[in-house]
Amino acid sequence: MILAASMAGGISMQTRAQNARQAPLAIDGPASPVPWVRYAGWPTRDTSKFNSLTRLVSPAPPKAPLKLEKGLTGDPAAGQKLAADRSRGGSCLACHVMGPAGGADLPGNVGPDLSEIGNAGRDEEWLFNYVNDARVYNSDTVMPPWGTHGIFSESEIGDIVAFLKTLKSPAKFKAALDDPMKRPAPIEQRDNLDALINPAMWLIEERAPALWKATGPAGASCASCHSNPVQAFRTWAAAMPRWEPRLNKVLGVEEFVARHAKATTGQSWLMQSEENTALSTYLRYLANGAPMVVDVAGPEAKGAYQRGEALSTRKIGALNFSCADCHGADKSASKWIRGQWLGELRGQLDHFPTWRTSQQSVWDIRKRFQWCQVAIWADDLPPDAPEYGDLELYLAAQNTGQKLSVPGIRH
Amino acid sequence: MRFISRRDAVRLIGGTVLAGSGAAERSWATPAQDSAEIGRFTDGRTGEPGKIALDVPEIAENGNSVTLSFDIDHPMTPERHVTDVLIVAENNPSPRVATFRFTPMSGRATAATRIRLAGTQAVTVMAKTSDGKLLMAQRQVKVTVGGCGG
Amino acid sequence: MAEKPRIRIPKQAAKNEVVEIKTLIAHLMESGQRKDPSGRIVPRKIINRFACSFNGKPVFECELEPAIAANPYLQFSARVEESGVFSFSWTDDDGSVITAEEKITVV
Repeated sequence: MILAASMAGGISMQTRAQNARQAPLAIDGPASPVPWVRYAGWPTRDTSKFNSLTRLVSPAPPKAPLKLEKGLTGDPAAGQKLAADRSRGGSCLACHVMGPAGGADLPGNVGPDLSEIGNAGRDEEWLFNYVNDARVYNSDTVMPPWGTHGIFSESEIGDIVAFLKTLKSPAKFKAALDDPMKRPAPIEQRDNLDALINPAMWLIEERAPALWKATGPAGASCASCHSNPVQAFRTWAAAMPRWEPRLNKVLGVEEFVARHAKATTGQSWLMQSEENTALSTYLRYLANGAPMVVDVAGPEAKGAYQRGEALSTRKIGALNFSCADCHGADKSASKWIRGQWLGELRGQLDHFPTWRTSQQSVWDIRKRFQWCQVAIWADDLPPDAPEYGDLELYLAAQNTGQKLSVPGIRH
Repeated sequence: MRFISRRDAVRLIGGTVLAGSGAAERSWATPAQDSAEIGRFTDGRTGEPGKIALDVPEIAENGNSVTLSFDIDHPMTPERHVTDVLIVAENNPSPRVATFRFTPMSGRATAATRIRLAGTQAVTVMAKTSDGKLLMAQRQVKVTVGGCGG
Repeated sequence: MAEKPRIRIPKQAAKNEVVEIKTLIAHLMESGQRKDPSGRIVPRKIINRFACSFNGKPVFECELEPAIAANPYLQFSARVEESGVFSFSWTDDDGSVITAEEKITVV
């Protein structure tokens, strides 16, 4: 039995009372489809040779900068095309302003402006090595190892270097918005709880209440034990995720719904099913306004937190990014990758599950984790992976005091 | 103001005009027919700017759902009122987005909706009045290029 | 199209007041541009027409094209001269029509 610890004040008597009786959970069996198959329509490239949150298998960097035996012969026009090619790992413009490349259309600023790199006194060998594997100069770099990880071939890197050498004057932007240094940070202003604005609210108004009353194979519904969810769960979700000793892992709302519904009503509402998503969104919605406070003081919770923190700094995928690389305040948070803003860890969880306008569907935080992995060319894990639980607990702790506002609405 | 691409204008010169069809077995307008419909709406005229307040975001997070609203400074009496409003997105596969039909009972020539944009482009709103005027407004919307590429 | 449309409209108005009406209907608005996983075009299927009338007289209508976003949202105005009933209709490409009504009282 876990009580949410007092990180920023006490928790309600209601939550204590709820936790005092252990919620039945189906312990056996997975909470997500087995084998886990990546969502239809997601990229299918094979990324098994690179680190994931469960394996450390990426090739090692060179021990020293590579020496170029002869001069590079590259095609700057080909290099300019590669710099703008989104299918090659987001490519250079995701992080760098590069003069005319990509029509100077919404480049990013995670990395330095390279528009005058051709005049910066860097020789070909240095430029080649920086693109091939910048770790030979800076072990802490965010720059992907384009050569070592086989994303660009040696001759393509030569083309990119040839293009870099042509960059000798500041970028000319067509609009102020294109300049990442002048682009205003996006502020979410939509009323996410208005059903005329956020389709996810239909889950709250119609789907979840219907599921709540639906009698499952065991002859019971959620309502059989929880006749007044609006009152009963006013803060419950704000204390999730939490360590679950019966499963020896961190349990998030979605996995809790799957295992608790199975154990009580007999319903098989696996994670990422539309029923699970509707109810998980509903349970968080019921705690809207409550500040997030998760237990990281108990010995197992503390261990999970530390594992989560370590996982958030692990570099994974062909692009070799860690969560912290993009979302760490001291790394790339509050910067742009192409036209997308990178948020800090704080503020990333209070609006999940969220309606995604780019996807026209509701995503919970586990699906968001999975997408982040696939987008940086790393293997995704099943949604109930213990590593995701550790990561979610760490993320929730960074969001202590943030008030839930679910469902969110975002790109 | 540019609302027909060069390629469509070429087809328009030689193309046929698609009459409005109420039949159940519709064939949907081709880009050329779309351009022809737009040409019919404007009758080749350029609309008068300044009377339509057009609100679209300067930058849209993606092209799936961009909020657009307009408010037209014009009476809505039985004697003088806005009759039709056409929204055009010049770089969409089919530039016509919607046509609104107002009546004096609308009270005000104002509306809002959410539209799809296939990339950065100009969005144009054109209005016809009962006394034969054509009004217009145009704004540029930048559709964000995402970071990760997928 | 199983869902009930959502309509936001005041229940009362002063005589000749211009009220704001907000409507939403759940609909994929399949544009006819999208390809399915096997590469085939998914056929177009949209709401192509919306109409609002009051006590039987037309107030506002629109013809919608595939560039209207999924779950079409339409906001417009109406001058309320007397108490009565607003009627709304949404027409699908397949010919089916969804209707709704809202009463308003002039006070």
